[in-house]
Amino acid sequence: MILETKNLSKSFGPRIAVDRLDLQVPKGSVYGFLGPNGSGKSTTIRMMTSLISPDIGEVFINDMSVQKMGSKALSDVGALIERADFHKHLSAKTNLSMLARMDKTDFSNIQKVLDRTGLSDRGNDKVKSYSQGMKQRLGIAQALMGNPKLLILDEPTNGLDPEGMKEVRDLIRELSSEGVTIFISSHLLDEVQKICSHVAMISFGKLITSGKIEDLLKESNFFMTDFHVDQVEKSLQIISGQKWILHSESINGVLRVSIRAEKISELVQLLVQNKINISAVIPKTNLEDLYLSKIGIDKKL
Amino acid sequence: MLGLIYNELLVITGRWRSYIGFIGISILMPLILWGFAYGSESLQSDYTRGFEGSFMIVGSIINTFLATYIIMNAMWIHIPFLITLAAGDSVAADGSNGIFRLTLIRPVSRLKILLSKLLASYIYSAALVIFCAFWSLGIGSLILGTGDLIVIDKGILILEESQVWIRMLLSFSLAIVVMCMVATLCFMFSSMVDNGVGPIIGAMFLIIVGYIIIAIPLDFFKKIEPYVFVSYFNIWIDAFKDPIPWLVIGKKLIVLIGYSIIFFGIAAYVFLNKDIKS
Repeated sequence: MILETKNLSKSFGPRIAVDRLDLQVPKGSVYGFLGPNGSGKSTTIRMMTSLISPDIGEVFINDMSVQKMGSKALSDVGALIERADFHKHLSAKTNLSMLARMDKTDFSNIQKVLDRTGLSDRGNDKVKSYSQGMKQRLGIAQALMGNPKLLILDEPTNGLDPEGMKEVRDLIRELSSEGVTIFISSHLLDEVQKICSHVAMISFGKLITSGKIEDLLKESNFFMTDFHVDQVEKSLQIISGQKWILHSESINGVLRVSIRAEKISELVQLLVQNKINISAVIPKTNLEDLYLSKIGIDKKL
Repeated sequence: MLGLIYNELLVITGRWRSYIGFIGISILMPLILWGFAYGSESLQSDYTRGFEGSFMIVGSIINTFLATYIIMNAMWIHIPFLITLAAGDSVAADGSNGIFRLTLIRPVSRLKILLSKLLASYIYSAALVIFCAFWSLGIGSLILGTGDLIVIDKGILILEESQVWIRMLLSFSLAIVVMCMVATLCFMFSSMVDNGVGPIIGAMFLIIVGYIIIAIPLDFFKKIEPYVFVSYFNIWIDAFKDPIPWLVIGKKLIVLIGYSIIFFGIAAYVFLNKDIKS
């Protein structure tokens, strides 16, 4: 494991932000970190990067404790924590040169990371003239300055337009193919599913689930399933009283139902008995469904 | 470490606020020097009133050295304010601007980062004092000329021109130590909060309270005066005594440096244990 948290906990006054969190991030993975607002994602990431001290527990990077070894443990880490902020009165290149001095990396890296993030022609401009999207790219550029083996990105696509988001996605894939491990927190579940190999979900500071995305989807008991039927409204009436159906709605003339896998055949039988013609049954389960079901369960608990 | 200090100097020199002191001095000094040049007669009669019955003064005693001596007397409360303008921002601004999210996640210890900020503040403080000296001694010597310095303290001391340059060097060096202590005080407050104004107010408040304590002749205030760091701010005057009271200067330096170490120690304790939430 390149990154591990053990029993990681942090409270702010009476509020528990992170509660005994155990994470294992394998080397070379692209690890998605999901959770609703206020679930403790940012606090966890700040503890990983030594910005916040945990009350108990530790973060290990390459088997070195961040809490005990301090800055030494972060020598292979690049990070972008929330929005990217720089010295606005200085140029992008000057800002990066300052960070290069701290990383003790070659100054030639500055041009490389600017090229990589599409900012090479604006490198001499003051940061205050940058749009939010450009600042975010510069944020990713600074994270790459020290040629990191582990890249921690907290909401990296914030403020980016769809094209910028795609560029970041492509960049993450490219870095991953070069062997860089990427730990990424995002609200964009579709994004995460597109680029991540692993995922962890937290709610109220507690780990809900974690593992390889494909394994989690396979293990999931909850399925969002589309039923192509001839009478959608009548179908909704028929199933409205059934307690084993978690959720149902009509979407563009299609009946979408959240249901446990073993209950699908029972629902088909029920609809057929009520003279509903079914032309197709299409399972739609994706990371978003899994996330909503897991977080939903947690909230009910 | 030099790279980190260079980084901090880049930040300080990039902020317009850092130039307020230099601009202020550049406006004020020509005015003062002009005032000395054109009002020298009345100034001389005021300055020599106490001993004009005992001495006969031929020519003018007003020169750049006397002007500098009087300017330093008048400005030792104002220069600290100019120092705090830069020192107040040094840690707090990085917190409020989110810069710590970039710098504290790098393989450099927090202590080194803090120390580099302090040393950069010291360089700024020294630069401001040297700039003052450049105006009052450099430009001043062109306008007012040089000569012997007559210092009136408990008696009259006449310092020869060759001696005065050395005394001025010593005096400005001691003033730099005082201003570095002021910078450390402001720096301590800066490490505790996330905005640059609070430290300036905090440091200036303590300095003004100190001035009040040493100015009011109450017994209680006299008792606590040795513990008030402001009462050591006049260390630069000791450079114009004869003989130079090295022991007194040494003791005052120990106190000023001691306070600086305590202030930095508090700043380091706060900063090393600080959670960066912004």
